[in-house]
Amino acid sequence: MNSPTNQPASNAPDSSAKAPALPIWLIIVFFMLLYWGAVYFDEHGGWFDAQIYSPYVSAEQLKTYQVGGGPNVFEQGRQVYGRTCFTCHGAAGMGQPGTFPPLAGSDWVNEEQPGRMIRLVLQGFSGPGLKINGQPFNTGGAMVPWNSLSDDEIAAVITFVRGNKEWGNKAGPVTPAQVAAIRAKVKSHSQPFSPTELEAISPAD
Amino acid sequence: MKFGPLVFLAAFLGLSASWYGLVLTPQVQLGRATQETNSVVKTELYPVGRPGLAREGLEVYRANGCAYCHSQQVEQKGTLIDVVLTEVGTNSMNVANALNEAHVGDGKFNGPSVGAGLPKPVLKGATIENASVLANVLKKAGATAELHLVPTGSDIERGWGMRRSVAQDFISDATVMPGSLRVGPDLANVGARLPDLNWQLVHLFNPAAVTKGSPMPPYRFLFERRKIGKQPSPDALKLMGEFAPAAGYEIVPKPEAKALAAYLISLRSDVPLYEAPLTPPPAPAAATNAPAK
Repeated sequence: MNSPTNQPASNAPDSSAKAPALPIWLIIVFFMLLYWGAVYFDEHGGWFDAQIYSPYVSAEQLKTYQVGGGPNVFEQGRQVYGRTCFTCHGAAGMGQPGTFPPLAGSDWVNEEQPGRMIRLVLQGFSGPGLKINGQPFNTGGAMVPWNSLSDDEIAAVITFVRGNKEWGNKAGPVTPAQVAAIRAKVKSHSQPFSPTELEAISPAD
Repeated sequence: MKFGPLVFLAAFLGLSASWYGLVLTPQVQLGRATQETNSVVKTELYPVGRPGLAREGLEVYRANGCAYCHSQQVEQKGTLIDVVLTEVGTNSMNVANALNEAHVGDGKFNGPSVGAGLPKPVLKGATIENASVLANVLKKAGATAELHLVPTGSDIERGWGMRRSVAQDFISDATVMPGSLRVGPDLANVGARLPDLNWQLVHLFNPAAVTKGSPMPPYRFLFERRKIGKQPSPDALKLMGEFAPAAGYEIVPKPEAKALAAYLISLRSDVPLYEAPLTPPPAPAAATNAPAK
């Protein structure tokens, strides 16, 4: 009378307790999804960089978007001009006859090489004998040195003055590196330049 | 409980991992953020702190639950580039040829007329790669070109902002109000969009007076209706037509309303930043002629 159905339940192996084998395709799909997720994160996640926001995806990519250089140096220069140069040289760069030399159309400004103009801004000038466009200009005062401005600011303001088409100026831009080079050269020159000293310097130097 | 320590350990690991990711890491990255340089005008810092009245206004904004209907975060879907020709240089023939070879625009540039009407865009809505290639080609041809960044996205097309909002926009506030619902328009840049103080006050007093059909409730309790004394108050609202108070009466904003309006006007996030670059539109001539003092 030992039919299998009459066996006590405790003796039978409990088939439901054994975990069913995971189908192999499910495991493959799982790992494929994991791989896709990792690749997606790598391409879009920005690797937790605090400066990366969508739509940008990486620091290198964001760097390529920093193209606001050229024209905006000009606008930065306009601001520096408004803070520093405007008081004497005026909003239109015309200066004041007999007191402050004009910047608009001046040969000092429109030289091809900016060496003299950078020196003028850095170290100022004083002394008689200033000529503008070949004409003697009687200046009552002197220009204070602006070496407290940074290289970036001086480059920007000179770029603004030299390239200001509203004033009829057409000279090229100046880089902060050019300013830095001349700043190092004029360090030994503690006094403001006199016009004759400036004229003796080669503009390319 | 057989697996007590294991369950505890798993729960502890799960919670501490999310605390690390959601609280500690952002705090380390952004918690001590200070003013950042404007990425275009390198001498300006952003954000400038809010004026004292606007700080009080933030509390009014918070107390009246403005954030339940207004968000302060602009979305951005992408950034497109316009290549703007600024100078042709000495050889305009070369420049015209370069443009024609690059197949931009209608492809019919010619030497004498390529320099007309500068600065002008020669390529619009390009990717940064294509724009840089064209800029290099133009540079080789002796011309000067600027790359203008144009953020895109539905929020920006609606005029709600010029670029996406980033963490830097919020660092001057102790309580940030980014909001999540948009029953009303986004306010991240409302100070640039609607800088008129009287408009803001009238809108708070009676939104329908300036925006027809506005679902915004009026905030009349921020104002006082009173008899005009010897002199009308200089602060009294300029209300027109059917919205004007009865003769002999005026509507004067309480300090809360003034603070809230000052806060709204101080909300602007249109400054170009390193992490959210953009090319600002040219400043109006009047503003540039008056030098900053």
